[in-house]
Amino acid sequence: MMPVWTKSGKKHAVTLLKVQDCHVLRYISKEESGGKTSKLLVGGKNGSPFFKSEAAMEIFKEAGVPPKQKVTTFNVTDDAIIKPGTPLYAAHFRPGQFVDVTAKTIGKGFQGVMKRWGFKGQPASHGQTKTHRRPGAISTNKAAKVYRGKKMPGKMGNIYRTSFGLKVWRINTKHDIIYVNGSVPGHTNCLVKVKDSKLPTYKDCNKNPPFPTFFADGDESLPEDLYDEEIFQFTDPSVTYA
Amino acid sequence: CRMSSDGKPAKFQPPPKPVIIDKQKQREEKRFLSPEFIPPRGRIDPLKLFLERKDMIQRRKVFNIPEFYVGSILAVTTADPYANNKTNRFVGICIQRGGKGLGATFVLRNVIEDQGVEICYELYSPRIQAIEVLKLEKRLDDNLMYLRDALPQYSTFDMNMKPVSHLDHEEVPVNKLQVRMKPKPWSKRWERPKYNIKGIKFELPEEKMRKAQKWSQPWLEFDMMREYDTSKIEEKIWKEVSEELKK
Repeated sequence: MMPVWTKSGKKHAVTLLKVQDCHVLRYISKEESGGKTSKLLVGGKNGSPFFKSEAAMEIFKEAGVPPKQKVTTFNVTDDAIIKPGTPLYAAHFRPGQFVDVTAKTIGKGFQGVMKRWGFKGQPASHGQTKTHRRPGAISTNKAAKVYRGKKMPGKMGNIYRTSFGLKVWRINTKHDIIYVNGSVPGHTNCLVKVKDSKLPTYKDCNKNPPFPTFFADGDESLPEDLYDEEIFQFTDPSVTYA
Repeated sequence: CRMSSDGKPAKFQPPPKPVIIDKQKQREEKRFLSPEFIPPRGRIDPLKLFLERKDMIQRRKVFNIPEFYVGSILAVTTADPYANNKTNRFVGICIQRGGKGLGATFVLRNVIEDQGVEICYELYSPRIQAIEVLKLEKRLDDNLMYLRDALPQYSTFDMNMKPVSHLDHEEVPVNKLQVRMKPKPWSKRWERPKYNIKGIKFELPEEKMRKAQKWSQPWLEFDMMREYDTSKIEEKIWKEVSEELKK
């Protein structure tokens, strides 16, 4: 995570996400998947072929692509279908866009109810016998049962969670890096899924994004760094207030 | 003309050649790499450090960040939207340099009208308009937080202080000042060996100093897992940074 300053002098914390060897693996049509839209399977970082099932290896062979560590599905409209085997780059996103980031949270193992659900526990003294971090009562008398989904101790973390509405401040096209506002679930160097934001406030925020995606062998050549309008670039002189 | 003992005119002896001490060469041998360039230990991608360093060098090309140490007296002018001239100048002694990369900070302390004031500035913040080193010197410690519990005379510096000149080729002077403290209680127990402070003149009874040594951890200096040898990393980064800055 790094600091980023705006032209008015405010500081924001930013997470760096690297787009490493992303390829489109397969196109699944609407009828085949049974959903409302067609899907595209996208694979992430290159990994070893040894611990993958035969079915997974077939998908990679069909697309003509080295085996990937992470495979995700994206729901796509019919006009945004991409041919399997095309590489995807960080320039697919533009600064000023808003983005949702999904990843597996850091696994904390088996945790008690205070850490896992934020219960208050019991006082440390004043006669408490062996009860300082316990859940206390788990149901009422009339219910005569414990409801399903009762918050209790258990394995915490290592589940998929999403941070919504993160602004993209900067894109580095040479190293394929996206600078995303705020923090992102997961540990350092973990695999992450980045999507256009589903929040209704940012529905009209994408002004002319590369559609369906940014093709590297196309005609347009982008500069090495793409900045948002409000960001302070280090080539400018220091900020002054008029 | 002078006659030698032979009576013949003496052979012309040219005057001895002046010895030129090349101060430029002496200056090049001296390297200073700002501590925020040194990467911290941990599972950090070297690409991220490389990009951060690029940004830091870019900022240094536009804005000059001088060499300074903990214990030097600095004057910093920042942009302030609520001040008269839209700028704010603060003079103080640097008591701490923290953070790595773009988020590197330094804390300046001064006593203004009997009120101790500490301001934490970010080195790479765009609101800083000028950093001047009024007096470049080092102290016996890396962290001068104990000045909070020292007599106020050690933290007062004149706001309109004139810069003290420092020649480039000379070594940075180390001020071996031993500071006198206010009576206890202090904010931290500075006599304990974990702070390893050499710049305080402890006027505590011997009994207390001996009891404080109870918290010493003599095995720490032999702990191999805590060793972090930065000499090779520093050389590589120094080469990279100096090449980029010369461009």
